[in-house]
Amino acid sequence: MKRLTVTLVSSTALTILAAPALAADGADIVQDVCGACHQPDANGDYSRIDAARRTPEGWEMNIERMVRNYGVHLSDQDRATVIRYLADTRGLSIEETEGYRYILEREPFAQDQGPDQLMTDTCGRCHSYARVALQRHSAEDWEKLLHFHLGQFPALEYQALARDRDWWVVAQGDVLTTLTQRYVMGEAPEKSDADLSGTWQIAGRQPGRGDYHGTMTVTSDGDAYAVTADLIFADGAAEQQTGRAILYGAGEWRASLTGGGAELRQVMALRADGTLEGRWFHTDQSTLGGRIMAARGDDPRILSVSPDHIRNGETTEIRIIGTGLTGAPALPDGLTAEVVSQDTTAVVLRVTADAEAPAGRGPVSVGDAALENGLAVFGALDHITVEPPLTYSRIGDGGGPIAAQPAVFDAIGWLNGPDGQPGTEDDIRVGTVHADWRTENFDEAAAEMKDAQFTGTIGPTGIFSPAAAGPNPERPMRTNNAGNLSVIATVTDGNTTLEGKAHLYATVQRFVDPPIR
Amino acid sequence: MKHLTPVNAKARQMTEAAAEGREDEVVAMNAMVGCTTSFDPGWEIDAFGGVANLCQPMEADLYGCADPCWWPAQVPDTMNTYPSWSDPAADVEKDWRQLQSVFPPSKV
Repeated sequence: MKRLTVTLVSSTALTILAAPALAADGADIVQDVCGACHQPDANGDYSRIDAARRTPEGWEMNIERMVRNYGVHLSDQDRATVIRYLADTRGLSIEETEGYRYILEREPFAQDQGPDQLMTDTCGRCHSYARVALQRHSAEDWEKLLHFHLGQFPALEYQALARDRDWWVVAQGDVLTTLTQRYVMGEAPEKSDADLSGTWQIAGRQPGRGDYHGTMTVTSDGDAYAVTADLIFADGAAEQQTGRAILYGAGEWRASLTGGGAELRQVMALRADGTLEGRWFHTDQSTLGGRIMAARGDDPRILSVSPDHIRNGETTEIRIIGTGLTGAPALPDGLTAEVVSQDTTAVVLRVTADAEAPAGRGPVSVGDAALENGLAVFGALDHITVEPPLTYSRIGDGGGPIAAQPAVFDAIGWLNGPDGQPGTEDDIRVGTVHADWRTENFDEAAAEMKDAQFTGTIGPTGIFSPAAAGPNPERPMRTNNAGNLSVIATVTDGNTTLEGKAHLYATVQRFVDPPIR
Repeated sequence: MKHLTPVNAKARQMTEAAAEGREDEVVAMNAMVGCTTSFDPGWEIDAFGGVANLCQPMEADLYGCADPCWWPAQVPDTMNTYPSWSDPAADVEKDWRQLQSVFPPSKV
């Protein structure tokens, strides 16, 4: 099929094949390679290319499709160059990505919904709705995108309930109207001219492992950055992550790092206040990773308080990470503390909670730096939940080329709040607590298939490791090691035993796994 | 439905759900992020919100998904987009280890 395409447009194909060697920069590649098909109009605007704006990942997927389906030849270097050029000149502002960054960050749990049921059903049935919301197109280009979907993936008629309604009229009507009104082409934001060199304070949490803090050293390296992040986890373990980063467009930070024996990706947004925020994850197992906040300079700011809860009558060390941490620390009522160490980026306190200290969350501050609801005081936990409440893992490995995708769970302790009822808005989140973990069959169908026996195992820190891919001759119908599980956390709190439960689809692998799912 | 007799577990579940007035629990279009289902078993989640009614094993009917691009966001469609994806695995139940993830590692 590919060969036929090239033959049909032979004169163009020759240009496509010949051009990359001459390409010097992104603009040249667009002109010489992309422009061979995407002719510029009288204003110099390239067809399609100048009718859309995308995230770096969006442009990468677009270029990949050109390579895959239209026979464009690009060296790895030219591919990276043109993606960067397009993301820099035809990108989205950070504000335009807010609410949908989870898909770029590969967050394992998110509420992925369109503005209404029609949009959720129409677009989100096959891929995330975030994929849509992170694009901008001209009205004409949105219409072409609908036609592209129908031509490229004709079976979408069934997914669109074509048996029951004139779905194409709906798609060209209300769906197209929403797309053209919500995601207007507009103007690309200015490329950021920020110099991100320097030493950043970082803090975050890796589910299944714990809180961490540390520094990230960023040095200019040509048109990119060299990055060294030193993470110190709550249990004292250290991990160094080193690699290279690029700041795309208005503030999309992407780093490729190596750390802890794994290839890592770091996806962060450069916020208007100069901080970076996002997530890092294992390249081939994106559920393994954690959120990260980074700040530099002298502005008073608290990034994290760890641990973020203390029990009445307990004495423990609490570490406050941030920038501009000068002045006296202040804690919620009923807590006393002595300063173990303090500099402008870290304050370590030895904190004692009075037996009568009022339960609840309160502010933590150091001089002018403050974190609302930074620390919780509690006597006894009222209930626990498991986060995420619903997620999936995927079978993998087993001699095959696709890695298994684990699922990672945290047990969260709660107070019931003033109304004394669990699961209501006034509940007070205490924080992550140690739990014992087990899986059970989710329902009768799962029990009949012995899902809990075959689908994988959950470790002591809440990481579910899926079983091997491929047909399993030990299961009925040689079925895969897929299953429907309850994940149960048991927390011993004084003399009380509490349980929380999550739902895990231990499901099959995916063979198409683009940067934006 | 009264003229139809269920012949497999999935059909029995459908019939039982209807008889007990639980049609609403049979989710016609259940979706997680990047996850698709329809009235047929979905790629990741079946019509009952579980996995027991997925194709078992999925390799048994994988090319029934791939040929007509039934779940093109999860399974490479060999009709248009990835025509040669399945070439190395003629007998998918035996050769499944030859099936690759199609998208190259991200370079951004």
